Amino acid sequence: MNGKSAAPSKPLIPQGEQLARPATRTMVFGSLAVAFLLTVLPWPQAALWLVPDFALLVLIYWNINAPRLAALGVAFTLGLVMDAAHGLLFGLHALSYCVATFVVLMLRRRLDFFTVKGQALHLAPIFPLQEALVLLLGLAYGQAQIDWRYLAAGLVTAALWVPACFVLDRLSGRPTRLDKVRSG
Amino acid sequence: MFVREMGLSARFGLYLLACLTLMAADSRYDALGKVRAGFNAVIHPAQQVIVWPFDFLRDAGSFFTVHSELRQERDQLLQERSLLRARLQEYQALAAENARLHILAGLPPAPGLTRVPAEIIRASQDPFARKVIVNRGSLHGVVAGRPVIDEAGLIGQVTQVFPASAEVTLLTDRNQSAPVQATRNGMRILVSGMGNDSLLEVRYLDLHADLKPGDILVTSGLDGVYPPGLPVARVLEIQLPRHNPFARAICQPLAGIGQHRHVVILMPEARS
Repeated sequence: MNGKSAAPSKPLIPQGEQLARPATRTMVFGSLAVAFLLTVLPWPQAALWLVPDFALLVLIYWNINAPRLAALGVAFTLGLVMDAAHGLLFGLHALSYCVATFVVLMLRRRLDFFTVKGQALHLAPIFPLQEALVLLLGLAYGQAQIDWRYLAAGLVTAALWVPACFVLDRLSGRPTRLDKVRSG
Repeated sequence: MFVREMGLSARFGLYLLACLTLMAADSRYDALGKVRAGFNAVIHPAQQVIVWPFDFLRDAGSFFTVHSELRQERDQLLQERSLLRARLQEYQALAAENARLHILAGLPPAPGLTRVPAEIIRASQDPFARKVIVNRGSLHGVVAGRPVIDEAGLIGQVTQVFPASAEVTLLTDRNQSAPVQATRNGMRILVSGMGNDSLLEVRYLDLHADLKPGDILVTSGLDGVYPPGLPVARVLEIQLPRHNPFARAICQPLAGIGQHRHVVILMPEARS
């Protein structure tokens, strides 16, 4: 009788394997470095406008899951490195990454209540808007010619959110949340 | 006792301000050229390391070519070499004659050029310009502003130099122009990029200018950047004006822009 009441079928707080390990510094910065290198690989010239921004993807993942380690400062630095690597104006990517991070940090509490797919829907507009922001800033700073096809890269990045989450969850030892609905 | 952290919005505002300042400094005053070169010197080796396996795979694919193909190619190259040598003799005689004529006419001798062969290592992921990165930089004596050609004609201009690499802005970039001359009648015009990989344009052409489809345009050497006589483009069509007083000519670049891996950077010959 009391055995039944003492053994709760579902613990209130996730236990053991279910409990997410906190993200380590190595994990966060290592994955960001790998994502950056993926982005600046020598992709074929004809498909450059389709190359997704892996670095932004990973940055936003850590914004949500480890905001203490990866917030505005990391976004700013990563953006500067990206600008240097692409030979663009210093600050273009830095600004757009900061804006993306700011939006995600504002949304973060809300995103906690959704599965990865729900999060994907929330985050989908951010990626193309980030690309659009880069292009518009270029326009504002006097670039005569703008290749608007680059907006497509934002769409590709948005489509990669679910697989990226899956991979990063695996890597960081987090229980996968693909099919688990949290009750909040 | 407790230090309060700055709010998220305040920090965001500060970062925005920093970004805008950086962009203004970079675009208006070109203040960050050194920083950029330094950054690139750090990133370039890392990029080379990542590219290495891809290059290796490509080379491994070409390792297994058939012996007969190699022999055939070798024969072709030998033939081509003897042809080129024969033409070089002609060229040397002409160059000597030209130098004598220069002296007779009391003109300064035409500057010689050294050719720095380079390989395109990647295209720049830049939505605002047509650029490629080549594997020769300031360590090899490359300086910004020098013309870049391939075996068929002009490709573009070196715009930024890093220690072991350089950025070449292609002629097809919308902001690039070259002063050219039609070989048929010597008419001098400016040809500019259209932001399209396979077309160039003459933007402001006199309505009655004597330019026909099929004309070959070569550099005129008037700007002091491009040496005279480099083939640039063939005229495809002349578009008559509709809304403005100028005609427009659409041209096709003669060089294989965006096709070749190997290019040549022209450097002025060191004078002793």
